[in-house]
Amino acid sequence: MERTGKPGYNQRLLALIHLTPGMAGFFIFIVVPLIASLVISLYNWPLYGEREFVGIQHYVSLLTGQDPVFYTVLRNTAIFAIGYTLANLILCTALAVWLHSLPDWGPFFRILLFIPVVTPMVANALIWRLMLQDNGLVNTLLGAVGIQGPSWLGDGKWALASLIVMSLWQGIGYNIVVLAAGLNGINPSVLEAARIDGTNAWNRFWKVTFPMLSPSLFFASVMTVIGGFKVFTQPYMLTKGGPGDSTNTIVLYLYRAGFSYDRLGFASSMAWILFVIIMLFTALQFVGQKKWVNYDA
Amino acid sequence: MKIRQMAAAAASLTLVLGLAACGGGSGDNKAAAGDRPNQMYTWVSNQSDREQWETFIAGVKESGDSEFNITLDGPSFQEYWTLVKTRMAASDAPCIITTQAARAQELGSLLAPLDDLAKEAGLDLSQYNEAMMQGLTVGGTVRAIPYDAEPMLLFYNKEMFEAAGLTAPGADYSREQFLSDAKALTKDGKFGFAVSSDIGYPPLAISFADGIVPTKDGELTLTDEALVKDIQWTMDLVKEGVAAAPNPGDTDEVGRQAFMAGNVAMFIDGPWFYSTYQDGSDFEVGIAAPPSTSGQPGGMIQGSGFGVADSCPDKAAAFANIVKMTTPEVVAYVGQHRGTVPSIASALSGWSEGKPEADVKVVEALLESGQPLVTTPQWNQVVTQFSQYSSDGYRGNKTAEEIMTQISQAIG
Repeated sequence: MERTGKPGYNQRLLALIHLTPGMAGFFIFIVVPLIASLVISLYNWPLYGEREFVGIQHYVSLLTGQDPVFYTVLRNTAIFAIGYTLANLILCTALAVWLHSLPDWGPFFRILLFIPVVTPMVANALIWRLMLQDNGLVNTLLGAVGIQGPSWLGDGKWALASLIVMSLWQGIGYNIVVLAAGLNGINPSVLEAARIDGTNAWNRFWKVTFPMLSPSLFFASVMTVIGGFKVFTQPYMLTKGGPGDSTNTIVLYLYRAGFSYDRLGFASSMAWILFVIIMLFTALQFVGQKKWVNYDA
Repeated sequence: MKIRQMAAAAASLTLVLGLAACGGGSGDNKAAAGDRPNQMYTWVSNQSDREQWETFIAGVKESGDSEFNITLDGPSFQEYWTLVKTRMAASDAPCIITTQAARAQELGSLLAPLDDLAKEAGLDLSQYNEAMMQGLTVGGTVRAIPYDAEPMLLFYNKEMFEAAGLTAPGADYSREQFLSDAKALTKDGKFGFAVSSDIGYPPLAISFADGIVPTKDGELTLTDEALVKDIQWTMDLVKEGVAAAPNPGDTDEVGRQAFMAGNVAMFIDGPWFYSTYQDGSDFEVGIAAPPSTSGQPGGMIQGSGFGVADSCPDKAAAFANIVKMTTPEVVAYVGQHRGTVPSIASALSGWSEGKPEADVKVVEALLESGQPLVTTPQWNQVVTQFSQYSSDGYRGNKTAEEIMTQISQAIG
């Protein structure tokens, strides 16, 4: 028998009891810290000692350029997030489509590429740091073929690119799995029909595969951009934000402000600016997806 | 339906009990609050750290107080400087905390003044190394009792010096001679010296050798002409070809490993690594004073001490424990067993036992001429930013003046 009408008191109570654990966690670990961080951002708040209310002074200092580093770290973070996301999606799509065409070896390579995702970022970064030293493995190999490699971590022109390459190695496995799931969901008969119609591989990709893969690509792009803006471990472990400020990112800068320089209020205001930037970027992506994401399939 | 309700009630009960269990610690902590003077918060994340602190406890027991005991708690050395501030805000915080002299200004608000307590306990503060006492003085009052006083040393590979036909350096080592030696030792893919992006290893140690320090009257003097000139001299060692340029974030550990592997002939480091170098290298290691313009020794004294938390309800009891751990007998015992240079001159025999006479003379000369690394609460920012910016200086992309000005402006 189908139930009709409003749920009774007992049902509402039952729902509340069921929701309580999850909602309690959400409230305690998300909502309260979020509000606390907003309040802290309005103070000069040291880890220990007296706090002082300063209103929106931290926000003014950051946004008006009074802080000499903020716009540099903002630019670095944007370059990293956008550059990493574009490179990641192009590479992952190409690899996922290629591996999809290898029924025997595809799963093996997907697992192989996924291994860096599940290994600790710190360990990966330390290995890359050794490889990218001036006389490390990369430059030794380049030297063997007659190329004198640059100082990957010591030269400001190469340091950020090095971080992007290391992050790609670390991160592509995840998006390859996401896109593989999307590719597996495409009905093979649709591709077969396109093949019978005489399309070549290039056209089949753009006219059939890409539109049907677009929801997975959209998900991957949103998550990758968010991850890109939050980048921390790579610059912290590989370059410490240097040389100069060439690889300093927002999260690294705010981490130092909060936990090394004892400026929790300043760090919190930066966290809120980052939060708004990520929210705007994600909103833009959701608005833009109407033009290229196809859910019909 | 009843089964579902019962299941939901059981789940809720579990949650409540779980939360209660999480909060249960506070009751235990309250029970232990009376023991706070016997608790120490320090860096104690690995076995070596723990053994160091336990050696102090063993030293007190050895000197007659067999009942003495201190409970140890704390994070790693790197995390300590942040976490100590949050830990001290808690109502059950331990009463004894440790600090480096270089960080005493930063932790000044956490540490209770000890002058009156020392007077009441009849503790003679003048017996401790003067430089360390200066370093542990904040706002005119002593905030910690030092247990070591460690002058930065120039470690060198004796075999490389002998192979190059060079005279081994000692307590009197001039910059001119140092540079000449470093050039002679730089060959076959090996460097005469190692630098790192850390401000202390070696720029400040070399500046201190000339008597130049980074603070004056409690203020940073990062753009002081003499300091900038000295830092530029150190950075130019890469241009001279005697050291490899570090990457940003290359800690002193890179140079340390290169020295121990025999790829670098000289390296400036603290005496707390003396045993590590002697035991871990395949060659004989000697020590000398960091080079100075005049050739006279000038020490940069680093070290740590025990302080009483400002929030401690029984400061006298906590201080009594500190006094027991910093007697000449105990610091000598720790120096003998852990290799730390004692903070009391009469206890130096504990450290020097079994060491070459030449090495002992170098340490004695540096202790005599040494100055403390006195810093300001912003020192962590200076260290962090120098490590970020200095690789540009070593590579010749920026001058020391530009770097120090940039750091100075960022600190404001």
